[in-house]
Amino acid sequence: MSTAPINTKVPLFADYRRLGGTYDEFFSEQGEPRPEVAQLVHSLDRIGQREFQKRQQLANSAFLNAGVTFSVYSDARGGERVFPFDLIPRVIPSSEWDRVERGLEQRVKALNLFLTDIYGKQAILAEEVIPRRLVLGSSGYLPKLHGVKPPGGVYVHVAGIDLIRGPSGDFLVLEDNARTPSGVSYVLENRGVMKRALPLIFRKLNVRSVDDYPSVLRNTLCESAPVPDAAVRAVVLTPGPFNSAYFEHSFLARRMGCELAYPSDLFVRDHRVYLKTTSGPEQIHVIYRRIDDDFLDPEFFRPDSLLGVAGLVSAYAAGNVTLANAPGNGVADDKGIYPYVPKMIRFYLSEEPILGQVETYHCDVDSDLSFVLQNLQKLVVKAVDGSGGYGMLMGPTASALELEEFDAKLRKNPRGYIAQPRVELSAAPTWCDAQVEPRRLDLRPFVLTGKQTWVLPGGLSRVALKPNSYVVNSSQGGGSKDTWVLGGHPGPGGAATATPHGGSVHTLSSLGGKAS
Amino acid sequence: MISRVAESCFWLCRYMERTESCARLVSVNRLIVLDANAADAERWRPVIVVVGEQARFEELAGAGRYHDDDDAQQYLTWSEKNPVSIRNNLYWARENARMIREVISHEMYETLNTWWQWFNGRAAQREYKKDRSEFYDRIRSMCAEFQGISHDTMLHEEPLHFMRLGMALERANQTARLMDVTHHRVAASEKTTLESPWQSAQWVSQLRLCAADEPFFKRNRAAPTGSAVAAFLLQDPTFPRSVRHCFERAEEALGNIEIAAERRRPTPSLVAVRSMVDRLRSQNIASVIQSGLHAELTHVVDTTATVCEQLHHDFFDPITEFDIELASRAPESARSQAGAAPSKAGSQVQSGGTQSQSGGN
Repeated sequence: MSTAPINTKVPLFADYRRLGGTYDEFFSEQGEPRPEVAQLVHSLDRIGQREFQKRQQLANSAFLNAGVTFSVYSDARGGERVFPFDLIPRVIPSSEWDRVERGLEQRVKALNLFLTDIYGKQAILAEEVIPRRLVLGSSGYLPKLHGVKPPGGVYVHVAGIDLIRGPSGDFLVLEDNARTPSGVSYVLENRGVMKRALPLIFRKLNVRSVDDYPSVLRNTLCESAPVPDAAVRAVVLTPGPFNSAYFEHSFLARRMGCELAYPSDLFVRDHRVYLKTTSGPEQIHVIYRRIDDDFLDPEFFRPDSLLGVAGLVSAYAAGNVTLANAPGNGVADDKGIYPYVPKMIRFYLSEEPILGQVETYHCDVDSDLSFVLQNLQKLVVKAVDGSGGYGMLMGPTASALELEEFDAKLRKNPRGYIAQPRVELSAAPTWCDAQVEPRRLDLRPFVLTGKQTWVLPGGLSRVALKPNSYVVNSSQGGGSKDTWVLGGHPGPGGAATATPHGGSVHTLSSLGGKAS
Repeated sequence: MISRVAESCFWLCRYMERTESCARLVSVNRLIVLDANAADAERWRPVIVVVGEQARFEELAGAGRYHDDDDAQQYLTWSEKNPVSIRNNLYWARENARMIREVISHEMYETLNTWWQWFNGRAAQREYKKDRSEFYDRIRSMCAEFQGISHDTMLHEEPLHFMRLGMALERANQTARLMDVTHHRVAASEKTTLESPWQSAQWVSQLRLCAADEPFFKRNRAAPTGSAVAAFLLQDPTFPRSVRHCFERAEEALGNIEIAAERRRPTPSLVAVRSMVDRLRSQNIASVIQSGLHAELTHVVDTTATVCEQLHHDFFDPITEFDIELASRAPESARSQAGAAPSKAGSQVQSGGTQSQSGGN
């Protein structure tokens, strides 16, 4: 009387093989699921490959229909593309996250103190902790802003600190983004789609919520305003719909309940910033600007530029408007300054750095330069002011021509580059067309600083979708995953205890709650 | 609200209205041309003329090529060369929506975006080939869905008022243009005061093109005459596409805007709309026809254009007025009061970006 199943389910991870030489986020070297993902692996295996594929397709069309897209510069018609999303989440256990969170708070505090110091007393230079020429020679340093104190005293309101896991599994800081880090909208949208596509699995795992980000961001901005909270008028400033991160600018304005302004919507009179509205000019106190320093204010930065708001920096210097992030932050996330961040932490906070970082060769130092030139094939070379994966050399996979090109660049402008050994980024199981394969990934957590510092649980996990690739940038074939930070207090029997989050500032402390 | 955003709200709904209108015109005309009494050369001319594309269409398809059903429908529906094709209207509606995504509800954007993905996909092409009536009906219901969602999900405040204003003015304009085309055709064919069967058919067609046939017959039992149809489309207070109804809705929206924007005196835009409303309420259809329906319809179209231009000065790009207001507010400013009279000539009309691309009807 036995009936054979008509459809034999293939467990999702049936054919999965780890990538040699890297830390696998899901499976130990013995091939056993790690404790934090054991339940997830079991549930996904039960769903099976065929059903999983269907849900992945559902997720893809949800992104397309919701218009969760980024604009592509190379497309003359201003094309929009969906940022590829992988439905297998990345999981970080509570105990591990708590350490990361403390490390991030510490690092961002130090960066803020560093900027306060550099645009003020310059004690760290006087005591020769960081070479003076490195700091004052950085293209991100704006000498004209020396002596200007931002309203509220905060420089880095929003930081995106890129982390990777080395072969041992420890999180290391790869780079700091203290100017206009992007990607947080995908964290929130990924979560929304995830809940739709795998609701039952989601409920089982007590995942920390990310929905508070917009309200905490709004509070962060208002806390740093030059006027009392109730009187604050804030806008998000975008370069416009053709910017690659336009979706995010619009998303954040909508979720914070404030207006999205283009540079042409603002003007400055008597060192005050006004918004052109249907009721006449209205004064603006806080600008969450998603425009680079260079294009912020033609009067201050580039007289040849037609972009930006003329006089904006003068209004900032007069203390009448908060710019988040502050202009001049480029000196803090300069890749040439990065090797000195541990020293900064010790100098300003008298603490040992909690998070490690990647060994870095400074081409400005003669002995380092000659080492780098001899070992170019083994190293990753990055321009100190580059971002988005542009202007870099991946030594191990570079062509002879590229190596030659960088050799010349380094000799000509050693201050412009740093080099690092290529870290074997950790890999996570990722759905690739018809099966699950390991793909390398990083993590960009977001850190907000107003009167206090707050870390969004998780962050954006970016995946290199091409086999064997190390480059995770969306502009270069990267995708993303939802990042699950597990709560410290699972509910009875591990069942759903989706904590109702109030969405208020009070979450500042409750979300930082440590595991017992 | 931000002036630029107000302009995008206004244009978003104008483009949606044009999308609906174009789908309706094509869909209704496809049935009209099946009737035996339609002259071959005339088949698609009225529709092409109403959307204002006569010159370009003749240049592309050849003069007098109004008999080819597929050419005309292709041009009105899919053509990227036709600035007011359904495709382009939908494209610009979505672009404007994308520019103000944080202002409209996410349901509105998702609806519009989902339809846009459908329109550009294989499913729409398949339906266009297989069941064309269904195809155009679907576009019309998409527009209705969008209006309904707007009404149900947005705060009923300034942004929505600007959307309604855009929709009302666009509708008034469309109705007047449609009336004018039919009027010309009938006037050119027979100079008789008696209604011939051919003329009656023209009036019925006109009503159908305006989605007014059923509403008209709820008001009028007799066969439609030129003057009854003109009275209905021009002056009926309750028919949603009559010129009067549209101007009354525009007046209402603009009045709400002025309250929200804390204007102390009525703006020139509102003054212009009000005087049009007064005119439509008080006029007698017989005297309108006697002094020339064409002139009256031209007046309607011109007024719409004037109001749009005035809105630009009053709300969308009032930078000159801002400067003057600021100068008069700032006590330390020693600027004289001489500049206090706003001079229209001096105010720069910025290019409206995407909004103005095909806004010149």
